[in-house]
Amino acid sequence: MASAPSKLYADDVSLVVVLLDTNPFFWSSSSLSFSQFLSHVLAFLNAILTLNQLNQVVVIATGYNSCDYVFDSSSDLNRSFENGRMPVMCSSLLQKLEEFLIKDEQLSKEEPEGKIKSSLFSGSLSMALCYIQRVFRSGALYPHPRILCLQGSPDGPEQYVAIMNAIFSAQRSSVPIDSCYLGSQNSAFLQQASYITGGVHHKPQNLDGLFQYLMTIFATDLHSRSFIHLPKPVGVDFRASCFCHKNTIDMGYICSVCLSIFCKHHKKCSTCGSVFGQAQSEVASASDKKRKTPET
Amino acid sequence: MPQVKIIAKNFMDMVASLPAIKLDLLYRNQFICEAILRSLPPLAKKYVLQMLYIDIPITSKSLQEWLLADGSSKHKVAIDRLIQLRVFEVIDRKKETTYKLNSTFQTNLRKHMISGGILPREPMPQSVTARLPTSEELDAYAHEQWECFLLQLISSGQAEKSTSFSSSMMRIFQRGLLRQRDKEAPRLTESGFQFLLMDTNAQLWYIIREYISNSEEQGVDQADLIGFLLELSFHTPGEAYSLDTLTDDQTTMIKDLADLGLVKLQKGRKESWFIPTKLATNLSVSLTDSSSRKQGFVVVETNFRMYAYSSSKLHCEILRLFARVEYQLPNLIVGAITKESLYNAFENGITAEQIVTFLQQNAHPRVAAKIPSVPENVTDQIRLWETDLNRVEMTPAHFYDEFPSRDVFEAASDFARMHNGLLWEDAKKMRMVVKAEIHMLMREHLRGQNK
Repeated sequence: MASAPSKLYADDVSLVVVLLDTNPFFWSSSSLSFSQFLSHVLAFLNAILTLNQLNQVVVIATGYNSCDYVFDSSSDLNRSFENGRMPVMCSSLLQKLEEFLIKDEQLSKEEPEGKIKSSLFSGSLSMALCYIQRVFRSGALYPHPRILCLQGSPDGPEQYVAIMNAIFSAQRSSVPIDSCYLGSQNSAFLQQASYITGGVHHKPQNLDGLFQYLMTIFATDLHSRSFIHLPKPVGVDFRASCFCHKNTIDMGYICSVCLSIFCKHHKKCSTCGSVFGQAQSEVASASDKKRKTPET
Repeated sequence: MPQVKIIAKNFMDMVASLPAIKLDLLYRNQFICEAILRSLPPLAKKYVLQMLYIDIPITSKSLQEWLLADGSSKHKVAIDRLIQLRVFEVIDRKKETTYKLNSTFQTNLRKHMISGGILPREPMPQSVTARLPTSEELDAYAHEQWECFLLQLISSGQAEKSTSFSSSMMRIFQRGLLRQRDKEAPRLTESGFQFLLMDTNAQLWYIIREYISNSEEQGVDQADLIGFLLELSFHTPGEAYSLDTLTDDQTTMIKDLADLGLVKLQKGRKESWFIPTKLATNLSVSLTDSSSRKQGFVVVETNFRMYAYSSSKLHCEILRLFARVEYQLPNLIVGAITKESLYNAFENGITAEQIVTFLQQNAHPRVAAKIPSVPENVTDQIRLWETDLNRVEMTPAHFYDEFPSRDVFEAASDFARMHNGLLWEDAKKMRMVVKAEIHMLMREHLRGQNK
């Protein structure tokens, strides 16, 4: 997506799409309660909107079964109150969020067994990108977009392909994905997303100070980032999931035609239909396939 | 020379130049804190956010640790601004400089972040105000008011309806923009021309600035006015607000603001109210922003003909500054850019660059999509005609002659050449012309030789 520079606002006007993890399975086990988390985030949103009159914030809730827009600072409904009335913004956000949670709960009738209780991150990421594309094409001037993922749930390996596709499309339209991981282990998806798109990934040590982390790191506009020290990735977990069983693997087989990844040898590629030859012992050493990440 | 521009851009300088006590008073108002925060450079905004919840002073060293190597100039600008506006308080301890956020400012901003802002005042209920103008009507109104004001400003006779500004007030606005030689019709000055070519927001700030500094002379507190103006920019455009909520000073001021098109005054059966327009709410948007860009109307062809789709007298007046207007149709002004018309403009102190920017900024949407929006041969020719006028370059210089000997002369000319200051020399008659900058050096050099 070629974005003519003349269509951008001044350097520091930003559109922040926040992906909010609302997975109940995660929040019930987290040290930080969901309401505390929300109060940190709401204050952060306020801050973003305060920084510049033209700043925009969109919040997308990532549930267990679904995801939906819960807040858009530019929508007409909110505009009629405009910035003077933050309490209205909060209440409308909270109300929408509650409706979303109830709907999300209704969708999960049967209790999943043994599955990793991840949230629908791929869905919300795609929604965010769709929103940004719409802004790009709206014709008028648009702010610098970026995505901020506030994620706590563990990665769902079955979403691997969808998430990677979303990440690459974000990279193509040069939208950085910032990620703040709130869970206990680290998330490979988020690390890769931020690494590939040039965003910032950070895992706060102390969740009580989440607001300060958000303000110091994630409130930085894209323009200022070029002269400020931000957390750099120490090591990025590049592991991929196989296409056949959705397992996270270190080593596997890769289709030489379409780069699909498999954990076992197959006779035929399930994605593109290419017929493979006999598996030879040295073929297994082709473990480099996980490096399909292009240089950024 | 471009004095007007500098003045118009740095409204916050004016805020910064207020005495400390008044600034502290201003910061008691939440909206002003917010407006000030918005006016800061991006890096300064970041520092404020970062330090919002830190109560102890921060050393300047630890702030700098956040910076990458090439950010130090931006850092300096940001810190200077923060100190100027007294958002940062500087505490010198031993050898280290430490900064702390202004506590009033800090509390107000915290309040804003946590509980969200409140409205400056409640809009009036629909039942009282009945039908309010739509946002298009309001924009049109603001536009018309502003144009009418500008017309009156540049040529008092032309405006269809006059604003209620007293003639003394008008004269204050005109100060610096118009020049009147005795008994002649007033003529625009250089800065006046530049003023007309600026975009609306910059013009607005210039006028507001003049207005504020003038009201100071009339005994109205400057800080109050600034506070009210900034507060006004946080009202929702298109909503009605009761006039009863204003103080006396503010009521007088709002009438003047209505003349500028910042607010629209309306009267109901019992109450009267004001409706802020977009012009007012754009006040706190940073001035460099082109967000208030209007739709253009000018089409320039490669044959130097110019078509302006506008019925506005003001536009016609502006175009007349640098082009020959040939005829006017109800919605179209047709003119040509000629050498004579441009020379006229240059004589009046308009630069080619300004004309080109004006044409580009106001390009009709049909041609604005093209690159370049103004044909290249036209822009080039405009610039060429300007350089035609600047064939002679002036350099302040000093003339030396009557050197005692050829040696002294040659040493002196070598010396001048070494300092890049020799403009002309005549070795036979031992005379030379040297740039004024190195005159002092030259003198010392010659004195040294004489001894």
